[in-house]
Amino acid sequence: MTELLVKNACVFDPLNGISMDVMDISIRDGRVVESVSATAEVIDAHGCLTLPGGIDSHSHVCGTKVNFGRYMSPEDMRAGRTARRGKMHVTSGYYVPTTFGNSYRYSTMGYTTVLEGAMAPLEARHTHEEFTATPHQDMMANTLFDGNWAIMEAVQKRDVKRAAAIVAWTLSAVKGYSIKLTNPGGTEAWGWGEDLTSIHEPVPNFNVTPAEIITTMIAANEFLHLPHSVHLHCNNLGKPGNYQTTLETFDLVPDRNNGRQTLYATHVQFHAYGGTTWRNISSKSEEIAHSVNAKPQIVMDMGQIMFGRTMTMTADGPMEFNLYCLHHNKWSNHDVELETGSGIIPVLYSKKSLVNCVMWAIGLELALLTKNPYQCLLATDNPNGAPFVKYPEIIGLLMSKRYRDEEFATLHNDTGQRTIISSIEREMDWNEIAIMTRAGQAKALGITPQGKGHLGVGAEADIAIYPIRCRNVDPSTEYRKVIEGFQKTMYTVKRGRIIARDGEVIVEGANSTFWVNPSVPEEISVATDPEFVRKFEEYYTVRMGNYPVQDVYLPRGKCIRTEVLP
Amino acid sequence: MYQDGSVTVRVILETKQRSKPFLPVEAESIIPRNFLKGTDLTVYEGNKERALSEMFWIFVEGTAVSPDKVEVVLKGDTARIKRVGEYMDTGSIRIMGDIGMHCGNFMSGGLIEIGGNADAWLGREMLDGSIICHGNAGHYCASGYRGEKHGMKGGRVEVMGNAGDFCAEYLTGGEVYIHGSCGDMGGVEMKGGMLVIGGDATRPCGNMKDGTCVILGRVQEMIPTFERIERRVLPEWKITADVYKGDVANRGKGTLMVNTSGLV
Repeated sequence: MTELLVKNACVFDPLNGISMDVMDISIRDGRVVESVSATAEVIDAHGCLTLPGGIDSHSHVCGTKVNFGRYMSPEDMRAGRTARRGKMHVTSGYYVPTTFGNSYRYSTMGYTTVLEGAMAPLEARHTHEEFTATPHQDMMANTLFDGNWAIMEAVQKRDVKRAAAIVAWTLSAVKGYSIKLTNPGGTEAWGWGEDLTSIHEPVPNFNVTPAEIITTMIAANEFLHLPHSVHLHCNNLGKPGNYQTTLETFDLVPDRNNGRQTLYATHVQFHAYGGTTWRNISSKSEEIAHSVNAKPQIVMDMGQIMFGRTMTMTADGPMEFNLYCLHHNKWSNHDVELETGSGIIPVLYSKKSLVNCVMWAIGLELALLTKNPYQCLLATDNPNGAPFVKYPEIIGLLMSKRYRDEEFATLHNDTGQRTIISSIEREMDWNEIAIMTRAGQAKALGITPQGKGHLGVGAEADIAIYPIRCRNVDPSTEYRKVIEGFQKTMYTVKRGRIIARDGEVIVEGANSTFWVNPSVPEEISVATDPEFVRKFEEYYTVRMGNYPVQDVYLPRGKCIRTEVLP
Repeated sequence: MYQDGSVTVRVILETKQRSKPFLPVEAESIIPRNFLKGTDLTVYEGNKERALSEMFWIFVEGTAVSPDKVEVVLKGDTARIKRVGEYMDTGSIRIMGDIGMHCGNFMSGGLIEIGGNADAWLGREMLDGSIICHGNAGHYCASGYRGEKHGMKGGRVEVMGNAGDFCAEYLTGGEVYIHGSCGDMGGVEMKGGMLVIGGDATRPCGNMKDGTCVILGRVQEMIPTFERIERRVLPEWKITADVYKGDVANRGKGTLMVNTSGLV
């Protein structure tokens, strides 16, 4: 039995309605409890800001795609080098760091749970191996279904149960967590050298539209009772005028779940562009936020960009090709058999570029115009918009109008004509930031039953204590203190163990990987379905028996079982 | 003492016998400026930090008041000593024998003279100053770092012998003069500056954006995406050359001049 007592913590716990209360938190064997014995280890928070452990609901940190980003940018490994120290391994890299680099930097920022944004099912083993080597965060994997041939055949037959059965088999085979659709249909079309420009355009050879894929997958997701909703990267990412597609997509979404959203729309900043070309691009964040404010069934994340060098990586192959045509820099393009694809190119977001300035403004506008902070979460689509180490700066921007104005003054002169950021007065408070970085994410991902995102009795003891005396700091003027505070925790506690202290990781990690095993009625299961098996053996380069990820790849896997309603 | 009477210092470093002579030595501390305050420096042998005096017999002649009057001389078995002259900004280094990898990285001034051969990455991402190598140079001579988009930006590298593959890769400014032949892909991705190859070259200047490359010897496997403009006499090099523009595959505006008798 190990016990820990956190004294004098100034706690924000939105899911339990606690806001700026100075209290003690008792922890026994990794869980929050009512009280502990007098022999418990004590840490004094000195009245500093204490939050549940941070959760990143969309981040690319593990897997083949990320690793190929490392592979193609050896120059990035010159940055961020740290030597072996204590329990910490060597790290290097800035926007695509080593797995330990990611893990340590997340830990010192108080983040304890991360959802990998996109895992190609066929390449799941690599993702799980890197999860094991990202030892301080509990991990989950969004599993890509956007161009899955079997799924598209089920969609064509309008057979929700079959689609659900394929999802169930695949998730349990590759130890995935949720359904990710990246440019649904578009990446498959890209396999034939084409792209889709509308959600009503049919996918070549399958005669289904992205709209049909999205609605069927939402129905399948809810049929299976998965903890997370469908996680959607909308079509037409990064194209001027794409906000129309985004709005059309949002209009497709029914309200099917009382506990959480029915659609998680990721990095919406990249999907909120007006105009017709890069020359007249403008912000359409008002339209998007208006739509989301009227639809409680939708949760989005910002997909904020921050200025500087980074790497874009996504399963959206055609979009990366368009980016390549703009930059003529190095480019990777990858096809994953009958599942999906991917593309990677490095980018530099510059204040001299009007387009980049508009993008920067849109992300912030989305967050500030969305009334309910549970519906717009803080993320950069790491590393696509910016490496996650920029989160503290984004928090500063959201909390301080003055900081926004100061930054705005350094941007391209025409930014004001294309955006509305300078007219927004809203400044977020500590509670809203706590929602946007942990409570909202836990709720959206459906991991509150696992004890994530809150500090009530029974919760997992993932706690971040920041050196910010929130009662004495005025974030709107002292935003520098806020940024510095969020960069380095005093203590990061993971499952009741202190893992980081003053920016230094002090123990070996022991994370878990959450995965979902949905059970489906025997009569619709595809595992022994002759048609499914025949096509699998015919089209894949691997045998169906070799496809599932063995348990040895998840040394600390945690299975979540779900049941369909009778 | 120089002829003008100014005060100079000469630091002679002669290698000692090492029990494991194959272990590379990381010696980025060997730059003239560091010797102004004495010889109390360290280098790494493998992963062990060593005092300079453990590795070298050190002889100091004279005194100096400014770093540009410091001359460092390396003698003995120096072929596995790496990063000599990294970030050097003034003064001079003379190496009697061979030198290890990454000699003169990021150099921004002064002179490095190598009596023997240089290993790979000689003068990588150099900014200014000059390097003269009397022997051969290895791969990636006067190039950029892997993955980086800019290579050498200024200064001068002269190699009396041959150079390996990827010589002057991503050359962005300055001059590179190889008296002998180059390996594969010399001047690939050039963005500026001047590359002269006295001997032969294979597949030179692929994806060249700008800059000038002159090849006095023969070219094997000329890249087809270069557009021939004219034939011109180059009195400076005493040859008649075919002048090409390219690499047109990526709208490059570089100039490649090849000895008329050199096309194979």
